[in-house]
Amino acid sequence: MWNDDDDARTLTFGEFTRWAQAQAVYFHEQGLAKGDRVILIMPQGLELMAAFAGALLLGAVPAILAYPTFKIEPAKYRFGLSGVSANLKAKLVVIDESFPREFLDYVSLGDQSQLVRALSPAPNAATAAAPDVSFAPEDVAFLQHSAGTTGLQKGVALSHRAVLRQLAHLGGALKICPEDRIYSWLPLYHDMGLIACFILPLVYHLHVVMQSPSDWVMQPGSMLHLISKYRCTLAWVPNFTLQFLAQRVKAEERKDFELGSLRALINCSEPVRAASMDMFTSAYSGCGLRSGVLQTSYAMAENVFAVTQSRVDGKSEPRRIWIDSEKYLREHVAVPAAEGSPQTVCFVSSGECLPCNEVKIVSDEGQELPPGQVGEILIRSDSLLEGYHNRPDLTAQSLRDGWYWSGDLGFYVDGELYVTGRKRDLIIVGGKNIYPQDVEEIAASHAKIHDGRAVAFGVFNASVGTEEIVVVAEVQDVADLADAGEVDRAIRGAIVAELGVAPRGVYLKPPRWIVKSTAGKPARSATREKFLAEHPEVKRS
Amino acid sequence: MAEPAQELIEYIRRELIRRPNVPIDGDTPLVSSGLIDSFSLVDILTKLEEVTGMRIAASKVQPKDMDTVRLMLATAERVGKPRK
Repeated sequence: MWNDDDDARTLTFGEFTRWAQAQAVYFHEQGLAKGDRVILIMPQGLELMAAFAGALLLGAVPAILAYPTFKIEPAKYRFGLSGVSANLKAKLVVIDESFPREFLDYVSLGDQSQLVRALSPAPNAATAAAPDVSFAPEDVAFLQHSAGTTGLQKGVALSHRAVLRQLAHLGGALKICPEDRIYSWLPLYHDMGLIACFILPLVYHLHVVMQSPSDWVMQPGSMLHLISKYRCTLAWVPNFTLQFLAQRVKAEERKDFELGSLRALINCSEPVRAASMDMFTSAYSGCGLRSGVLQTSYAMAENVFAVTQSRVDGKSEPRRIWIDSEKYLREHVAVPAAEGSPQTVCFVSSGECLPCNEVKIVSDEGQELPPGQVGEILIRSDSLLEGYHNRPDLTAQSLRDGWYWSGDLGFYVDGELYVTGRKRDLIIVGGKNIYPQDVEEIAASHAKIHDGRAVAFGVFNASVGTEEIVVVAEVQDVADLADAGEVDRAIRGAIVAELGVAPRGVYLKPPRWIVKSTAGKPARSATREKFLAEHPEVKRS
Repeated sequence: MAEPAQELIEYIRRELIRRPNVPIDGDTPLVSSGLIDSFSLVDILTKLEEVTGMRIAASKVQPKDMDTVRLMLATAERVGKPRK
């Protein structure tokens, strides 16, 4: 775990195991038993990982939630921890020494949940062995959540066998070997950080060099400094990172980078953009970056992680396809066109399916579509979720007849998947899932907003390489538009406080501006189109 | 207001603010209010080094130390080293 060149902490596998065992014994003493859920709210670090592993050793089911940051005001903190712990009926909620005191009063738990601090520091010697537990492959191993009111109700339950199967397939596709070394700044409460950068190296016994995301964002070049220093071979990042690194790292910092050890830098967790990848390659090919390093993957927590992976063989680059943009927008088909010809749009492949993973593209009515047609991506695999914990209703919506309905849109050409967007309006900001209904609820709760009429959607920002949240809200009275500044600030602050992400803008409109569906409810995509037509300065792609 | 503070405010208002025409002063919360996002912190750090003439090690700075212009300048005082 690296904070600084003078402040890095290394644990051997043996030390880590002993710490995990000590955590297990400690949790057991607090009443945690096999099958019990345990919520972990700790900063990125060794302690969190040891607590997670300790819970696993007991056969308990851990769930890592995002740590409250300074952005979140305790008084306005609608964290809903009581909601999550009620849904999970968590036996323990584990925090660390540095958990902000001002939040403790707002950590409300259900009757059955107990707040404890994790065991720290790591033990010097072996402690008592954790109690003997028997495991069945189909037992749930852990849960994963997205942020926000919606995300915190959808605990993705993953079995031991699902996780191990995914790691076997992914490890094979990546040609993992004992000399591999992973670099990560990705949060452990997100599937990419948890699975690819913690559980995968744990199972394959690989070295990991890890940073916390908040440290990394202040000094993005540190990622490349660490890859150079520790000769890391593998890393995963959301698309925006490639662009961020290309644009924000000064030339004088770059001259010390030596990226020759990197054999795969995998773009994943938000739509991949050719432009972002090219910016990175241009910026860093002079730092020893080999060709064939930038790769792609389509992954989600509901499949443990990867569904597809582009070919990692040291020379192949993810395929690109140029398609007619008119036909794509109007008829939802991908008709190949010559690169560079007018009215084309480029998509980058997310690769081929992993073994035992299948993808099907379906129409709105659920009919399977042939290659080249855009529709919803359905997934069937040997590593799908058992369900959303305690939410058979949500599970039944998404898992039908053995297929998982992803809500993502894409098309298939020559055996490769191209992901084009999201059907269910999910907004992905910097790789982080944001449910528009959560944003809308926050905006609609402002006194000046009329009758729940707020719509949130994503708009891609090409200068950053990721999507941003736009909120459109109707005021009660046209006169209220004069207070736009104050309302914007209040709503914006509330969104940051709850979701940790700053929206691009909060746009106030007069009554009856938002487009409604035939059922009388706000129609997101139609409103989005109307908004972009009126605000051309917002759309830059 | 002191020069460095004013320069920082101008820079933030001109380059980074997500909502133009918003009045900012030395104590306006910037990141926690969503007026700027955390991706801009690295740019602010560079500008802070420039206006104070200091080198500031990013690893010694936490995002919460950069939430207002006043906090930024205090951070530079605390962890900055004069540039040669």
